[in-house]
Amino acid sequence: MGVDGNYKWVGKRTVRPDGTDKVTGRALFSADSSMPGMLIGKILRSPHAHAKIKSIDTSKAEKLAGVKSVVIGKDFPNLPNKTISIGILAANFSEMSDKLMARKKVLYDGHPVAAVAATTSAIADKALSLIKVEYQVLPHVIDVDEAMKPKAPLLHKKMITVGVDPAPTKASNVASRCEFGFGDLEAGFAAADVIIERTFKTKPAHQGYLEPHGAVVSVAEDGQVTIWCSSQGQFMVRSYCARLMQIDEAQIRVIPAEIGGGFGGKTVIYLEPVAMALSGRAGKPVKMTMTREEVMRATGPTSGTSIDVKLGATKDGKLTAGEAELRYQAGCYPGSPVGPGAMTAFAPYNLENVKTVGFDVVVNRPQAAAYRAPGAPMSEFAVESVIDEMAQKLGMDPIALRELNAAKEGTTAPYGPKFGPIGNEQCLEAAKNHPHYSAPLGPNQGRGVASGFWFNVGGESVASVNINTDGTAVVLSGNPDIGGSRASMAAMAAEVLGIDYDKVRPIVADTSSIGYNDLTGGSRTTFASGMAVCNAATDAVDQMRTRAAKVWDISPDAVEWSEGHARPAGPNAGDFEPMSLADIARTSAKMGGPITGRAAINAQGAAPGFGTHIVDVEVDPETGHVTVLRYTAVQDVGRAIHPSYVEGQIQGGVAQGVGWALNEEYVYGDDGCLQNTGFLDYRMPVASDLPMIDTVIIEVPNEAHPFGVRGVGEVPIIPPLGAVANAVSNAIGVRMTDLPLSPPKILAAIKNGS
Amino acid sequence: MHDFAYHRPQSLEDAANFLRTAEDPLLMAGGQTMIPTLKQRLAAPSDVIDLAEVPGLVMIDVKKAQVSVGAMLTHASVASSPEVQAALPALAGLAGNIGDMHVRNRGTLGGSIANNDPAADYPAALIGLGATVHTSKRQIAADDFFTALFETALAGDEIVTSVDFPVPELAAYMKFDHPASRYAVVGVFIAKFGTDVRAAVTGAGPCVYREAQMEEALTRDFSPSALADMTISPDGMNTDLYAGPEYRANLVKIMATRAVEAALKGGG
Repeated sequence: MGVDGNYKWVGKRTVRPDGTDKVTGRALFSADSSMPGMLIGKILRSPHAHAKIKSIDTSKAEKLAGVKSVVIGKDFPNLPNKTISIGILAANFSEMSDKLMARKKVLYDGHPVAAVAATTSAIADKALSLIKVEYQVLPHVIDVDEAMKPKAPLLHKKMITVGVDPAPTKASNVASRCEFGFGDLEAGFAAADVIIERTFKTKPAHQGYLEPHGAVVSVAEDGQVTIWCSSQGQFMVRSYCARLMQIDEAQIRVIPAEIGGGFGGKTVIYLEPVAMALSGRAGKPVKMTMTREEVMRATGPTSGTSIDVKLGATKDGKLTAGEAELRYQAGCYPGSPVGPGAMTAFAPYNLENVKTVGFDVVVNRPQAAAYRAPGAPMSEFAVESVIDEMAQKLGMDPIALRELNAAKEGTTAPYGPKFGPIGNEQCLEAAKNHPHYSAPLGPNQGRGVASGFWFNVGGESVASVNINTDGTAVVLSGNPDIGGSRASMAAMAAEVLGIDYDKVRPIVADTSSIGYNDLTGGSRTTFASGMAVCNAATDAVDQMRTRAAKVWDISPDAVEWSEGHARPAGPNAGDFEPMSLADIARTSAKMGGPITGRAAINAQGAAPGFGTHIVDVEVDPETGHVTVLRYTAVQDVGRAIHPSYVEGQIQGGVAQGVGWALNEEYVYGDDGCLQNTGFLDYRMPVASDLPMIDTVIIEVPNEAHPFGVRGVGEVPIIPPLGAVANAVSNAIGVRMTDLPLSPPKILAAIKNGS
Repeated sequence: MHDFAYHRPQSLEDAANFLRTAEDPLLMAGGQTMIPTLKQRLAAPSDVIDLAEVPGLVMIDVKKAQVSVGAMLTHASVASSPEVQAALPALAGLAGNIGDMHVRNRGTLGGSIANNDPAADYPAALIGLGATVHTSKRQIAADDFFTALFETALAGDEIVTSVDFPVPELAAYMKFDHPASRYAVVGVFIAKFGTDVRAAVTGAGPCVYREAQMEEALTRDFSPSALADMTISPDGMNTDLYAGPEYRANLVKIMATRAVEAALKGGG
């Protein structure tokens, strides 16, 4: 074994263990669980973008036959207003609780103000209509630039910007300021022959998971809580519910359902604590499921942004300085991904002088949630657009300009650390040499290129590998399987154990069946939990080597493990018939009991991922309509444990990025209420909107992982925004800086020439 | 969805009787607009009358000068009919581009025109071809059928049974579809019958309409260049989250020009 090895299962296109159940419909998603006596819970939401709650009268709803419990904000514990770290996440539970159920004010259209549980869905609806809420409507603010103005309506009267020295004395909607970079910007721009400055805007985009949020929660008479729900982390759900509802984690068991898409949007909770409160009062289990309208109005899209970029270069293409100011919408409480946006903006480039400043700004919108590579697609869109324009101004090929300035091993990243081995240059070279890049373009067509960078993440993971007496193995891990991770876990375990892939059954265990795991996010699962699975399998192998050593009466060090057999390590170790995993497992009762490999780690050594995308578009000059003609995505993944799911993740990221670039946007009315609350008005691309997305997998192994994994899921959503905008700009000869590039917007740009 | 009584009458007369006697009845053809409307609780009928088993409504009759289509024929059936493709390719093409595959497999001609969505495709074909609507009571000229936004000339107990489309010399339909709903942001159906030209526009206004200045220009000269200098006024045109009146006015001219080009190439 080793990162450069030839593998039997790693890198092969095995059948996914969860595939049959998903194809046949047997797989259980969050709304599929039901319990005897179960009630239906529903939420009453604010119709206003910003309002003071003067009173809530639930008396009529409580008296309605079939209504078993009603809760409002005051029924939830009040918690200290401070930020606490849990694993790779940080949370302010006072704010989180207020987002779950408004206390004094509603802060966005859709903010929960009350919830009911009733024997039927219709009774629950009727009960909601009987709750009388008296509002005092306040002025609202939706746009990030508007929210930063001195006279903007304030969401939080006491909010003082963090990260500014000296601290401001006046409250504002700017929650915090962050800054990254180094060097001498002034000298850098002075050395430039060409300087480009541009402002870019992006709209919030929803993750668009097919499965709306849902949960079934049972609070038993002794206070034991069982939660069936789909999320990106059963332990995240447990931690959050325990703290929000002030009970012990050990009292809560979260059983992960299959997840119908998350993309970051299920790294937070909306329903579970509300269902806990309703179930506890009613003494019966409660099921809550969101409608699509609720998902759109009241779950987190990613931030809308407004970004200034300034870039300098010498006439021979050396970048001399890069500067960006990023303003991100956080939603109703602080927490936009402006930090990672500011860190990643210039990361594909080797810059001596670089500075990024980010502002996290609250607005009257639902709280922003993570969306693949949180923060990076917007900031890298802005920078990649300016890189493209710089190449044009210098008369250089856009990939050649990127290659000349590419970050590589030893480059200091704009956010501080020095890069180790990375695949940035390899991606650029593969893109340059791809037949797509030299294919001829027709009239009204344009080609765009963009790069993307994401950190990738490690974190805490636990795994167990149980060896069965028939020579098979069960792998327990604790991360919901969003992108095919069970197949990857099984492949890695099979590789380490040396048994066939279909002799390994991977399962995602509940919070009471396995130790703590950070959630599925940041492209950490195949890296960190995969490392835990490898370590647990290695632990099982070590136990089996020890047993063989005992049988042969030699030192365990003299026993090696290969192709699923314990073997004497060499002629000096003795001449013994190799023992297979099945041989050893069969005799486990006599040899010390069951064989269980375990690993509990905080995975270190996560290695960054880079990608380069090429896209061709055709713009209809008379309507502004864009057709995506061809798309090629090149990405360094370290090691593709399962190439099909790597390709699938890349293609999915591209599809979402193209939607963000061309179609998707939240449309708010003057009243601050969301107007497009469903997929009929919020357009995500479907198969017929896109060409086949060709993928090129680059493998620059990450030495920290047993098989070289970096991570896949984040990078591919980053380059499409810049690549598509560059392609459209090149097709029409006008630089497009305001996403999405809807046909009316493009037609206006063609007509106005700017 | 609210509760309702569901009926599946076996004859046109029984279906009409439900319309006369039920408190707040709603006919169901393919259900592609109706069911989402029920799910969103925009409609709460007391009775839903499903026309699926009423005999005689699923037919295609193609003659040299006329294509007749039964009210319950699905868009997919019209699109894939070799007879319609040969006789009236513009109609087959229009049907084949309605919504998505799922909508086309369920949605029907009768349902589409009785609903008269301002952005539906079929009304443009009926107006563009000067079709005749047959109902359980009478015949109605297409020009008299579509009266206003979501309104038709149908009486409360009247049911569309079929539509006769005259076969033109040249015809084509071009639409700019909404990226999500696939409804027409603007669709234009152009048909030439000898010296008579009809130009029907859907999606742009509150109801499908004939664009008189286009018909005049194309009657003089049936070529794309006949429309080149034409100005389409955005006054009264629809505005929605996707596009405003000016953008639609531009599309009317562009789609009409492209429809003329396509018609000259054989339609579709």
